[in-house]
Amino acid sequence: MRLTNFPSWLLALLALPLFTAAVHTSNWAVLVSTSRFWFNYRHLANTLSLYRTVKRLGIPDNQIILMLPDDMACNPRNTFTGSVFNDKSRMLDLYDDKGALEDLGMGGIEVDYRGNEVTVENFIRLLTDRWPSSHPHSKRLMTGPQSNVLIYMTGHGGNEFLKFQDSEEISSFDLADAFEQMYEKKRYHEMLFMIDTCQANTMYSAFYSPGVLATGSSARDQSSYSHHADQDVGVAVIDRWTYFYLEFLETRMNSTSSDIRLGELFDYMTFDRVHSDAGVRYDLLEGREQAVRERRVLDFFGNVQGVEIETGTQETQNDWKKDLEALQELGARAESQQTAPKSKDKNATASTAANGMPNVSRVSLDMAQGGGSWLKKMAGAASLAVLGGAWMASNKLTKQYAVK
Amino acid sequence: MRLSTLLTLPAALLPLIYAKEQHSYTEHLHLKPLPDNSLYAGFTFTSTTPYTAYASNHFRYFPRSLAQILQYTHTAELHLRFALGRWDEESWGSRPRRGSREGGNGVELWAWMDADAEEGWSDLVNSLSGLFCASLNFVDSGKTTRPVLSFEPEGTLEELQETRNGTGELRLLHGMLPHEVVCTENLTPFLKLLPCKGKAGISSLLDGHKLFDANWQTMAVDVRPICSTGGDCILEIQQTVDMVLDIERSMRPRESPIPRPLPIKDITCDETKGYNGHDTCYPEGPGGEMGWSLSSVFGRPIRGSCALGGGEEEEGFDITLKVPSERTVEVISETAIPQSTSSGSRAYRLPKDANFDLDLPHQALESSSSGAFALEQPPLYASRQLTGHGAERGGMHTLLRNPHPYAQRIVYLESLPWFLRPYMHTLELSGAGGKMEKMFYTPLLDRQRGTHLELLIEIQPRSTVEITYDFEKAILRYTEYPPDANRGFDIPAAVIRVLPNNATQDQGQGRDYYLRTTSLLLPLPTPDFSMPYNVIILTSTVIALGFGSIFNLLVRSFVLVEEVPVGALAGVVWRLKDGVARVRGMLKGGGVGKEDDGGGVVKKGEVVVGGEVRKVNGGGGGGGKKDT
Repeated sequence: MRLTNFPSWLLALLALPLFTAAVHTSNWAVLVSTSRFWFNYRHLANTLSLYRTVKRLGIPDNQIILMLPDDMACNPRNTFTGSVFNDKSRMLDLYDDKGALEDLGMGGIEVDYRGNEVTVENFIRLLTDRWPSSHPHSKRLMTGPQSNVLIYMTGHGGNEFLKFQDSEEISSFDLADAFEQMYEKKRYHEMLFMIDTCQANTMYSAFYSPGVLATGSSARDQSSYSHHADQDVGVAVIDRWTYFYLEFLETRMNSTSSDIRLGELFDYMTFDRVHSDAGVRYDLLEGREQAVRERRVLDFFGNVQGVEIETGTQETQNDWKKDLEALQELGARAESQQTAPKSKDKNATASTAANGMPNVSRVSLDMAQGGGSWLKKMAGAASLAVLGGAWMASNKLTKQYAVK
Repeated sequence: MRLSTLLTLPAALLPLIYAKEQHSYTEHLHLKPLPDNSLYAGFTFTSTTPYTAYASNHFRYFPRSLAQILQYTHTAELHLRFALGRWDEESWGSRPRRGSREGGNGVELWAWMDADAEEGWSDLVNSLSGLFCASLNFVDSGKTTRPVLSFEPEGTLEELQETRNGTGELRLLHGMLPHEVVCTENLTPFLKLLPCKGKAGISSLLDGHKLFDANWQTMAVDVRPICSTGGDCILEIQQTVDMVLDIERSMRPRESPIPRPLPIKDITCDETKGYNGHDTCYPEGPGGEMGWSLSSVFGRPIRGSCALGGGEEEEGFDITLKVPSERTVEVISETAIPQSTSSGSRAYRLPKDANFDLDLPHQALESSSSGAFALEQPPLYASRQLTGHGAERGGMHTLLRNPHPYAQRIVYLESLPWFLRPYMHTLELSGAGGKMEKMFYTPLLDRQRGTHLELLIEIQPRSTVEITYDFEKAILRYTEYPPDANRGFDIPAAVIRVLPNNATQDQGQGRDYYLRTTSLLLPLPTPDFSMPYNVIILTSTVIALGFGSIFNLLVRSFVLVEEVPVGALAGVVWRLKDGVARVRGMLKGGGVGKEDDGGGVVKKGEVVVGGEVRKVNGGGGGGGKKDT
C-alpha cells in the first residue's frame, strides 16, 4: 500500500516545509448545536466547551459564530442559573466564566444565533454568505481565501443527515454543496469540519471540495454516546468524543504556541475512549494523510495574526484576466469531475492530475449503501437462495400431494 | 461699550463650559429592602454627548457601536427593554421609576425614526439583534405596530428636527418579542456599552448568575435628545437595570445552590402552637430583618468607583440605601467614605481605588415593620387572562382596578399576533365605572400585520373594569410552526399607561405611570408533525398496489397452456425428462396410468399467466409429454 503510493508520498514529503508554514491569515470558527430541549443539555455544553477552547486559544469573539437553539443557562429547570457545566465536578462555568478568566478578557458570552434562528436555511446562508444587506456583521462569516475555518456541529443525526431542532434536517449533500459554494466563492483556505453525532462519519462522505479536512465521532450504524451525567443538573452533560477532544486540548494545548500536530489529536480518539469508531477524511487536502497529520492543531483551533496586503483597488486589465482564468479553472474542474470515472470506493485516493491540481473525483451516490460490506451482500444472497429453495421445495411438495 | 463687552465675555464662555459638561457620565445605585426578604436594586447609568459631536462621530462616554446604528437608521429616540419575571404589586407596592423603564416579558423595542427612511426599522432591528445577541430581527412587519396614544417621546424631538433641519416627520414604531429568552449573552453587550464595562463602579455588581436568578428583572436602554431653547442639543443614553432579589436565595453558595433542610436542633419551634411537643414542631422564622451584605447578595463587593467626569467636582452620591434610620449599616471599605444620612435613606460615594461593601446584620427593629416598609400604592392593578376552551375559539379577559378615590384615565394597548383574530363586535367594557372615550384599531392582515388595539378608558374611583372580547385561532401552515409548537404561542403583554390627572399632580406625581400585564401562552391547534410521513408512506403503498396490478394487466398476456411456445432450452429439458420417464416406465411397467391422470389435471386448460407458465409446464411436463 505504502509502496504503491510512493510518488505522491514523496511529493508530500517534499512539499512539507511549505505546508507547515501557516499560509492563512485569519481563523474563524462556526460552532453549532442543533438540538433543542432540556434533555439535550449536553449538546449545548459540547458547543460551549468548544467555544471556550477556541476563545482560549486566541480566536476573538467576532470571529466565532455561535449557534445555540435553546437556552440552558436561564432555563427554569436549571438549578445553577446562568451556568452551563460540561463536567460533574462543576469547576468550570462555560456560560460566563468571570471569576478565573476576566483578567484575560474572557468573561461574558456572545451568542450569534439563538432559539428559532438556528435553522438549516440560516446555517447554509451563513456558510455561503447570502444575506440581505441589513444583516449585522457580527452574525456573518466574513472569511476570505486566506481564512482557516473550523466548523463544529453536534446534535442528533443518522445516516447522512443531521437533525436541526427536531423539525428539519440537513443532509450530507446539502453540506457538501454549501462547502463547494464556499470554495468557489473563495471563502476559505482550509477547513476543519468536526461533527459529534450518531453515524457522524457519514456526514462528510459526500464532500468533494478541496481543502476540507473532516472528522466525525462514529462510523455508520454506530451511536455516539454521552460521557457522563451530573445528578444535580439532572441530565448528561457532555458527549464522549467531545469530552476527549477537550481533554486533549486542555492538557496538551497549554499555550498559543503549542506545537502539537493534528495526527496526535486524531490518534487520541481511540475506540476505548470514544466507544465508537472516530473517523478522519484526509483525501481532500493537499498532501493527504501524511502531510495533514503533520499540521499544527493551532492551524484550526488557534488564531494567527497574519497580515493581508491588498494592493490597491485600481482596476487593471490584469484583474479581469485573472478572474477569467479563475473561472476557466473552475469550469475545467467541473468538467473533469463529470468526465472522471466514478470511483467505487468512497475514500478513493485521488490521482494527481497533469496540471498539478489534485483531481478529486465526485463521490458517487451509493444508493444501495453497500460500499465494502461484502458480508452483507453475501448474507442477502444467501437469504435469497434459501427463500428460493424453500419455494421450490414447497412447490415440489404440493405437486406430490396433488398427485397422490 | 466697555460694559457690554464685559457682559458678553462670560456669555461667550458659557457655551464652552456647557459643551464640556455635555460629555458626562454618572451612575447611581438605589437599594431598597422589600417585604418577605426581598431586595430591590436599581442601577442607573447615564452618559451624554453633544449632538454636534455625535454628528461628527466623536464620542467619549456615549457608546460608539450604538451611536453608529442610530445614525445609520435615522433614529431620533430609542427604547429597548429586556425583561424577565413579574413585579408583585400586592406585596412590593408601586413600580420603580413609575414603570417608565420596564418592558413586557421578553424583549420590547420602540423608536421614533425618520418617516421617509423606509428600510430604517428593519435595519434597526437587525443591527440591534447583532449588537445585543437577541433575535430582534424577528420583529418584522407582523409584529410591528404604530401606537397612537400609548407612548410619548421623552426627548425634545421637535427641537431636534429643527436643529437637524429635518423636514420629514418622525414616526413611532413598536415591537415586542414575548418568547425571547433574556440571559447572560444579553448582559454581556449591555455592559460593554458602559464606559467602565462592568469592571469598576456599581456595574461591577452585575453578574448574570445573580441577575437572571432574580424574581423580577428588567434591563433598559433609552436614548433621547435633549435640546435647549437656543438650539443646543445633547444626546443622552440611559441604561438601567432593575431587579428584585430574594435575599435568602441569592446568598446560597454558587457551588451548592440546592437547599437542604436544617437539622432539627437548629430549628426554632413556635411553642405557642397547641400541638407543640417533643416530636412536633412548627418552625418559627428568625424574625426581624434578615442580615445581608452587598458581597453576599451580589457575589462580590463594588470594585472602586467609575469616576470619569473629572472626579473632584462631583457632588452626587453613587449609592442610596433606603432603610429606616434605626437599621444598623456597616460600611466596609479601606478608605473613608463620604456619606449622608437623612430620615429613611442613606447615601454613599464610592472610593476611588478601593473595594466597597455594605453590611446589614440581622436585626429586630423596634418600630413596627409596617413603618419600615411603607409601601406606596400603585395607581392601578391589572391582570389579563385567556378564557375559553377548545382549539378553535377563545376569549381575552382583562381586569383593571382603580384603588384610588379619584377617577383615572388610562390608555390600554394590545398588539396581537395575526394568528389570534379578535372578533371586534364582541369587545365589551363591563363593570360599574368604565367609560371608553376613544378607540384606535388596526385590523390584522394574515401573515403581514397583527392587530393593533388602543383604548382610552376612564375608570371611576374605586372601581373595576373588565375588558373582554372573543377571538378565533388561526390554523398555521405546516412550515410556520416553530420547533416547539406544542409549548404554545406567546402573546405579548398589554401596555397600560395611566395618564396624570389633577389629583395626582397635586401630589407631585405629574408623570405617566406605566404597567404591563404578563404575557400569555396561547395553545394553537397543532398537527401531528409525523402525519405527513404517514400519509406519504400510505399513499406510496396504495399507489404501488394499484399501479402494480394495472401494470401487470397491461403488459402480460393471458394464454392457454397449449399455446405457450416451447423454448429451446425447455425442449432439451423435456426431452431429457421424457427419456428418463420412458426408461422408468420400461423398468416399472405399470405406473404410467397414474401419471397420465396427473397430467390430465393440467391439461384441462388452466389459464396461466406468463411468469408461471414455465413452472406449470415444468411440473406437468412429464404428463403432458406422455400424451403425445
